[in-house]
Amino acid sequence: MNALDRKLLRDLWRMRGQVLAIALVLAAATATFVLSVGVYGSLTETRDAYYARNHFADVFASMTRAPRSVVARVGEIEGVQRAEGSIKQFATLDFPDRNVPVRALINSVDEFGRTQLNQVTLRAGRMPHPGEAGEVVVDEAFAEANGLGPGDSLEALIYGSRQRLDIVGVGLAPEFIYSIAPGDLIPDNERYGIFWMGRRALEAATDRTEAINSLALTLERGASQEEVIRRIDRILDPYGGTGAYGREDHISHAFLDNELMQLDAMTRVIPPVFLFVSTFLVYIVLGRMIRTERTQIGLLKAFGYSGRQIGWHYSKFALAIALVATLLGSLAGIWMGQGMTRLYAEYYRFPFLYYHISPGVFLAASGLSLGSAGLGALGGMRSAITLAPAVAMSPPPPPVYRAGAIEALGRRAGLSAIGHMIVRHIARWPGRSAITVLGVALSLGLLFSTMQFMDSSRTMLDSFFFRAQRQDLTVSFTEPRNEDVLFGLAQIPGVLRVEPTRAIAVKMSNGNLIERTAIEGSAPDSMLTARIDSSGAEIPLPVSGLMLSRQLADQLQVGAGDAVHVEMLGGRRTQRMLPVAGIVDEFIGARAYAAPQTMEALARDRAPVASALLRIDPAARDAILTELKEMPVVLGVTERDAALLKFKQMIDDNLFTMMFFYVAFASAIAIGVVYNSARILFSERAHELATLRVLGYHRTEVGIVLLGELALLVVAAVPLGCVIGYWMAQLMTAMFSSDLFRLPFAPSRATYGYASLIVLVAALATAALVALRVLRLDMIRVLKARE
Amino acid sequence: MKTGGTGAAFSGKGLRKIYVTGETEVHALRGVDLAIEAGEIVVLLGPSGSGKSTLLNIIGGLDRPTEGELFYRDLRLTGMPESELTRYRRENIGFIFQFYNLIPSLTAEENVRLVTDIADEPMDALDALELVGLGERAQHYPAQLSGGEQQRVAVARAIAKRPGVLLCDEPTGALDSATGVRVLETLERANRELGTTVLIITHNAGIAAMADRVLHFLDGQIARVVENENTIEPGEISW
Repeated sequence: MNALDRKLLRDLWRMRGQVLAIALVLAAATATFVLSVGVYGSLTETRDAYYARNHFADVFASMTRAPRSVVARVGEIEGVQRAEGSIKQFATLDFPDRNVPVRALINSVDEFGRTQLNQVTLRAGRMPHPGEAGEVVVDEAFAEANGLGPGDSLEALIYGSRQRLDIVGVGLAPEFIYSIAPGDLIPDNERYGIFWMGRRALEAATDRTEAINSLALTLERGASQEEVIRRIDRILDPYGGTGAYGREDHISHAFLDNELMQLDAMTRVIPPVFLFVSTFLVYIVLGRMIRTERTQIGLLKAFGYSGRQIGWHYSKFALAIALVATLLGSLAGIWMGQGMTRLYAEYYRFPFLYYHISPGVFLAASGLSLGSAGLGALGGMRSAITLAPAVAMSPPPPPVYRAGAIEALGRRAGLSAIGHMIVRHIARWPGRSAITVLGVALSLGLLFSTMQFMDSSRTMLDSFFFRAQRQDLTVSFTEPRNEDVLFGLAQIPGVLRVEPTRAIAVKMSNGNLIERTAIEGSAPDSMLTARIDSSGAEIPLPVSGLMLSRQLADQLQVGAGDAVHVEMLGGRRTQRMLPVAGIVDEFIGARAYAAPQTMEALARDRAPVASALLRIDPAARDAILTELKEMPVVLGVTERDAALLKFKQMIDDNLFTMMFFYVAFASAIAIGVVYNSARILFSERAHELATLRVLGYHRTEVGIVLLGELALLVVAAVPLGCVIGYWMAQLMTAMFSSDLFRLPFAPSRATYGYASLIVLVAALATAALVALRVLRLDMIRVLKARE
Repeated sequence: MKTGGTGAAFSGKGLRKIYVTGETEVHALRGVDLAIEAGEIVVLLGPSGSGKSTLLNIIGGLDRPTEGELFYRDLRLTGMPESELTRYRRENIGFIFQFYNLIPSLTAEENVRLVTDIADEPMDALDALELVGLGERAQHYPAQLSGGEQQRVAVARAIAKRPGVLLCDEPTGALDSATGVRVLETLERANRELGTTVLIITHNAGIAAMADRVLHFLDGQIARVVENENTIEPGEISW
């Protein structure tokens, strides 16, 4: 090892605190990068492999009832590779010891193993045998949540009749990576399961011999999905087809896609912040190092080292930091990625989830750290290269201070001599002061923009669960009923109020923009539902025309006063132009609302009741649930409180974990920035501080010179950080919003306060740590030497 | 605790200072007895490493002896806690160093104010600058002053709080003779007009001629003390 490299190692060791502080910030960049890109890659690869292996379909369609022969007709459409028909039937399950309603979606599978699309992967047991009536395979999540396995059996109410189901296997399918019950927001594995039953058995149970109600198909490469869908719709029209749709509208696929999009958004926003800060930290630290070592640089040049050799020597210092950071960050990224993958595995069910990070990710991550540190080293390198040896070996000229604009303010404020020292030093090094302020502000911004997701969820929760949904129970029926069913429900003791709701599945279009959605209606005097916009105001249903959620209006690019083409899916397939009467800024889903008369005019029937909303006496809850379970017309019951609890639990699981990481990351920035600023400040001012001590200033008074400047900069960073945070949070909520839901942007004042407090504490604790050095200040040694 | 009259300013007995660096011990002071009268000008002469600076630092409360006792008037400096030593410096001692040690971010006047801000009955900062002949340059920053001017600001800063004692470590070491004389004149004037006790460390034997007493240092001890019958004015010093 040559002497310069030895110097490098010793410098790194001597400045280990600062090196580590920068490395931590850079490591946070690497970690978030490795985490998000790694998990994104793993999830995408796993999904694609799963889709390919189990032949996940490209297009899906459902209908009321069609003869099986329709499958062959669809298969003949140009561009269709393979089509398969099946039966999908909702059933209610009876757990004798539980009164909470449990629903299952039973899918038919070919008993002879001829099912090619959306294949089931068995995790335990076997597929149903041909001719065995009650044999089912249940999905793994449901089996785990309810402690079921092969050999267990269940009582089910299928299509109006009771049947015993024998579990023969546990499985998974690519159609149900993410499975939520209709009307739910998040999976509830205890109350909703996916079952597979032999085709003949399900045909018999649902009175659909040689008939189907669901279609899935794959497309040939290069086929036009749009054209295929158009032709399928034409074929299925007489059978109550509700419109074919592609993967993008498939609920499981869409949720997974949404998750991937959020990961991608994270990659694009968060690592750049860390990289940016690290670059500046390297810049100021190396700059200071070269200023203090100018005599050595002059000497080396006098000995015959070239400018390039010396420049390279100092760049290696920066690159060494980047290497340490890449190593730390990659390890942290892998560790966090494993945790995150485990978290995903709870909500997204894969038969295998490979957590695998390609070497390319690490290469890219190290490239980013090296690039960021290298960029920061450029300034210092340039000054090391251009320093003339004769100039370098003479002491640097004393820094020139001038009374500037701040000065006038200071004089008016009656600053003490110490006050002047602080203010002038800031003004003397405006670049470095700005970097400190910006660095701390960015740390605050990052912290705020992640912490406000809590506010966002809380607002969504409040608006959705407490203001928009005021019912205790939602009762869905096996098929639409007339209003008599409401009287039946109202008879149950403890039921305080019953209201009908209905939804019509439609295809809504504006020009060539088409969206599949539902128009929802409620009773004109409804007390249990309301439409709440993002400002919390309750929006009444329009007398005529439609009210679209902001999401839907954006997708269709329409506003109030425009008209949209509405085509009913199924039923009478009415088509008409309806005016958009208003837009409601909602958070969840792309939906439309209409008054009952508008719904009736569209459906051209006397509004049948698809589901009912109930307000109940909490004391009678158990009895009511038991009663509902006994009613054959009831398909399922959703409890608002249970859903709320699930939602809260998901927030706790995901957000709190994320929050922990981000508090750590944001603190890393604040600590990195403040520690380096403080160390540089201390080294620049050690001489002055010692002079003050000699003149009779106490340690605490001298500490103020050091802490005062930092405190001023950190405090100045708070409002800037709040502005940056506000801006970043808006960007991030927009990037995290999807077709499925929009995140409300509703930061609370407390969040500004908490974020500021965390950053202030981290910053001041770090500064105080450096200020402790004032205690060990060697007055005599400092004064003996010329600065 | 302000002084200015007569009587003992400092009295010390058996002062020793041992620095331990790694495995070696350096005996900087090897038993020094000391008596300095208030209002005296004392010059400390001797080769490098003979213990002059160590003694001055101990007298100034910047360092502590390993052994021995030291009194400033009736104040026992040895064994004093750090905070009291700071207060002692704040109230009684003015320092002047070879390299001025001005705060570059403060103007001449503000550098003086740094001391008057925390002193009990200080002079006006501008008066102190007038006293060293720099009234005109009060608003200049150190970088805008010559070496001699900077040292005179340091002197003004030291005398502005009307200290009982001025401790000067090579005050003219970095100056040319004409500038050096101006600085010495200022010190002499402070001694004459304010009754300040002045201790000066120097390598320049010529300066000894203006002292009431000269302490010659050798190997950590005071080798001899020379009383000056006829002190001369700084202007007459042969450089």
